[in-house]
Amino acid sequence: MIKLSRRVSLLLLGLVAVLLASILIFLYFNSNSEKTATYSESRDLIRLMKQQDAQWENEILKSRVAISHNYDPLVSPMNEMNRLWERFDTMQSDHGRHDSRQWNDAHKAFQQAMQEKTRLVEQFKSHNALLRNSLAFLPTAEDDIQAQLSDLSDLNKLQLQNIATDTYDLLLSALEFAQVTSADKAADIQLGLSKLAVNMQRLPGEFHAPIGILSKHVALILREQPLVNGMLEDIEAVPVADRLDDITNMLNQDQQRVEKIDNKYHFYLLVFSGLLVLLLMWLAFRLIRSFAEINRVNNALQTANDVLEQRVEERTRELRNAQSELLDSARQAGMAEIATNVLHNVGNVLNSVNISADLIARKLRNSKTLGLGKAMQLINGHPDDLGHFLTEDDKGKLLPGYLNQLVGAIAQEQQEMADELGLMSKSVDHIKDIVATQQSYAGANSMTEPLYISELLEDALRMNAGALTRHHVTVIREYSEVPQVMGDKHRLLLILINLISNAKYAMSDLDNRSREMTLGVRVVDNAFLEISVRDDGEGIAPENMTRIFAHGFTTRKEGHGFGLHSCALAAIEMNGHLTAHSDGPGLGALFTLQIPLIAVTENA
Amino acid sequence: MNSQKRRSGGKLGRPLPMPLVYYAPAFLLYALCAVAGAAPLDEPLKPLPELPKQHPGQVELGRKLFSDPRLSINNTLSCASCHQLQKNGADTRAFSLGFDGQPVSINTPTVLNASLNFRQFWDGRVETLEAQSNVVITSPHEMGSDWNTIVQRITEDADYRAGFSAAYPNAVTKANIQSALASYERTLLTPGSRFDQYLLGDTDILSLEEKYGYQRFKDYGCIACHQGANIGGNMFQKFGVFGDYIADRGNPTVTDQGRFNITGDEADRSVFKVPSLRNVELTAPYFHDGSAPTLERAVDVMFQYQLGRMPSAEDKALIVQFLKTLTGEWKGKP
Repeated sequence: MIKLSRRVSLLLLGLVAVLLASILIFLYFNSNSEKTATYSESRDLIRLMKQQDAQWENEILKSRVAISHNYDPLVSPMNEMNRLWERFDTMQSDHGRHDSRQWNDAHKAFQQAMQEKTRLVEQFKSHNALLRNSLAFLPTAEDDIQAQLSDLSDLNKLQLQNIATDTYDLLLSALEFAQVTSADKAADIQLGLSKLAVNMQRLPGEFHAPIGILSKHVALILREQPLVNGMLEDIEAVPVADRLDDITNMLNQDQQRVEKIDNKYHFYLLVFSGLLVLLLMWLAFRLIRSFAEINRVNNALQTANDVLEQRVEERTRELRNAQSELLDSARQAGMAEIATNVLHNVGNVLNSVNISADLIARKLRNSKTLGLGKAMQLINGHPDDLGHFLTEDDKGKLLPGYLNQLVGAIAQEQQEMADELGLMSKSVDHIKDIVATQQSYAGANSMTEPLYISELLEDALRMNAGALTRHHVTVIREYSEVPQVMGDKHRLLLILINLISNAKYAMSDLDNRSREMTLGVRVVDNAFLEISVRDDGEGIAPENMTRIFAHGFTTRKEGHGFGLHSCALAAIEMNGHLTAHSDGPGLGALFTLQIPLIAVTENA
Repeated sequence: MNSQKRRSGGKLGRPLPMPLVYYAPAFLLYALCAVAGAAPLDEPLKPLPELPKQHPGQVELGRKLFSDPRLSINNTLSCASCHQLQKNGADTRAFSLGFDGQPVSINTPTVLNASLNFRQFWDGRVETLEAQSNVVITSPHEMGSDWNTIVQRITEDADYRAGFSAAYPNAVTKANIQSALASYERTLLTPGSRFDQYLLGDTDILSLEEKYGYQRFKDYGCIACHQGANIGGNMFQKFGVFGDYIADRGNPTVTDQGRFNITGDEADRSVFKVPSLRNVELTAPYFHDGSAPTLERAVDVMFQYQLGRMPSAEDKALIVQFLKTLTGEWKGKP
């Protein structure tokens, strides 16, 4: 149930995050309308077009006043404007402005104006070129006529002067007309042309061509000048710039609208961001709180852990104490066993001491020395006739022989008692020996010392000697050459005594069979010293093999189960190990002790 | 803007001292000649501009298309059939022959320097070279083809396909073929004419006669129409200002109505685009109807019908000499 709701809440959280992100993106894109980006470019394009338009008009005026004779500048602004317009138009249609009727109208109005202006400028160029040409030529044409007139001498001077004046007036009228185009001037020119036509008739034939040319050009000026002026006015009247202004205004309006929307979205974005910040702050607060909670729980856990650890440590310590106590007790038990053995052996020896003492006492009680006393009484009864008595008397005659026999008997008796005393003192020495050995092991701590294993084995055997003799155990020694090693004499002896004692017990139930115990010593791999004790006793049942070293395990009635356990511990304490092997019940057992071989160097 | 315009307009009405305006260019020219020997001259005529920078792949495609007869309906005519680049960029006939072997109704203008003309065709009916090729290719008298056929034919050619897909984002289309042709045509400029070198400051390259010829060219007013970088090609003008050339020639045709055919404006009757005078030495016969077989004849007609002047034979010869300095180079000599 909890898991499900967690999953649902995770899903909800994800949905909320996606929703917020999409709102943010939506607002962002709306507040950064592309129209804003293109606005300035569009406006610049229109501005450039206006610039070109102004330049165009400037060039038109320059052509009008004949500053410039090159009409290329009248073409390039138009081309440039068309090119700019095309760019502008593409950009606008990309933004769908052509959908709006207002925009379409504005575009059409501009294009119409542009077309009209282009048409008028084309016409202006044509007509202006002609007009300029004729105007430029006029003075030359007039000069040609005047020169020819001055060459004429056969005609009436007055008439010639009138003709010259008329021609000159016509030139002036035409030039004035070019500057101030009015109906009056036009009439003047018409009048001048009529006069010139009349005058031509009065002049010789060679005047007809130049006058004809002059009048044709004047007529052209008369025709073209109003046309050009009209075109200029028309060009001025074409509202290209106004149309461009209209478009700029619309762009501005559009931009303002877009900006208004942008501002709105900016505001929304701001508000939304504010909300998000609040949300984030709340989340951060929550996070900090949950962190605190986690910290608190962590600390509690840590404390619990520490307590647990402490308790474990305590337990471990207790366990260790218990174990060391156990060890102590095992050791003490071992020592007790040794003491038992010692007492046992001592008891055995004491027995022989007792027998010896008994024997001596008996000997003393039945001593032949008493006969000596009787002989002395016989002698003392015959102080005066001792010789007689010894030679004559029947009893006396026997006395020397008796005394001789007695001497022999006493000497033998003395010999026997001395022998017996010798035996007893030997037994006492034995007891002293046993006690001394026991004393030398008791209380010794784990200290390694140089020792010969074979000697140690002999000590162990000696401590068990009584029992072994009693049980008629034959000890077979298979000692290989082993150097003096460093070892813990006490522990080793404990183990060996136990193993020998166990072997002895294992063979106690054998009835009519020789009992053999094999002791072995050898070096394994030049690294371990191996001591083995094999018996051919009752053996070990397979089910007991695993438990044999366990604390408290024993198969004997009077056993306490410490022996092998303490042996195994002692082996481990010496960095060695004790193993047992048996082919099965009744097939004997082999105990093997391995300890690291630490040879005693000559220095040590 | 309006007020500014009005002020300018007012300035126009004010009398100007005519002689000063009139002599100003000459004075300027004199001053320039005196001061800066190698500096470009400030003349109403301008040297050719630099070649525009274009996509080389597009230009190459245009070059191939230009001489490809598959653009005509019956595979007989290419652009180069009438615009013979090895001669003058035009045809030596007065009227070139269409795909059907029938002569067309108007003289073929040269393609050389055509990109500098402010409009294309004699009557200026289109503004761009792209539109020009469209008209010629689809004209029932000229190449008589249609774009579906052409796009199909070009697409079938693996070389073209590879070329177009390399040069354009969207392979073979009508617009791309037009663009390629126009790109190529924009490279057909003829720089290095002796007069251009003169304009660029090498004033010794023209002989005295040729310089006089240029002076006459300006004095007689030829320059009123033939000016700018292309020495013409930037305005329309009535053919027959002084007198009716068409009528005098006889057999008026619809083509002779000129721009009137486009605008319907009576003022545009017999109005044509002023042609460029570059390479004019080579582009005979002259005029829209090819009615002037020689340069001298063309100059005569211009004087009589356009300028209304009677020049001396000497001046005419000088002007013709000057006109021959306008021959430029395209891959050696056109």
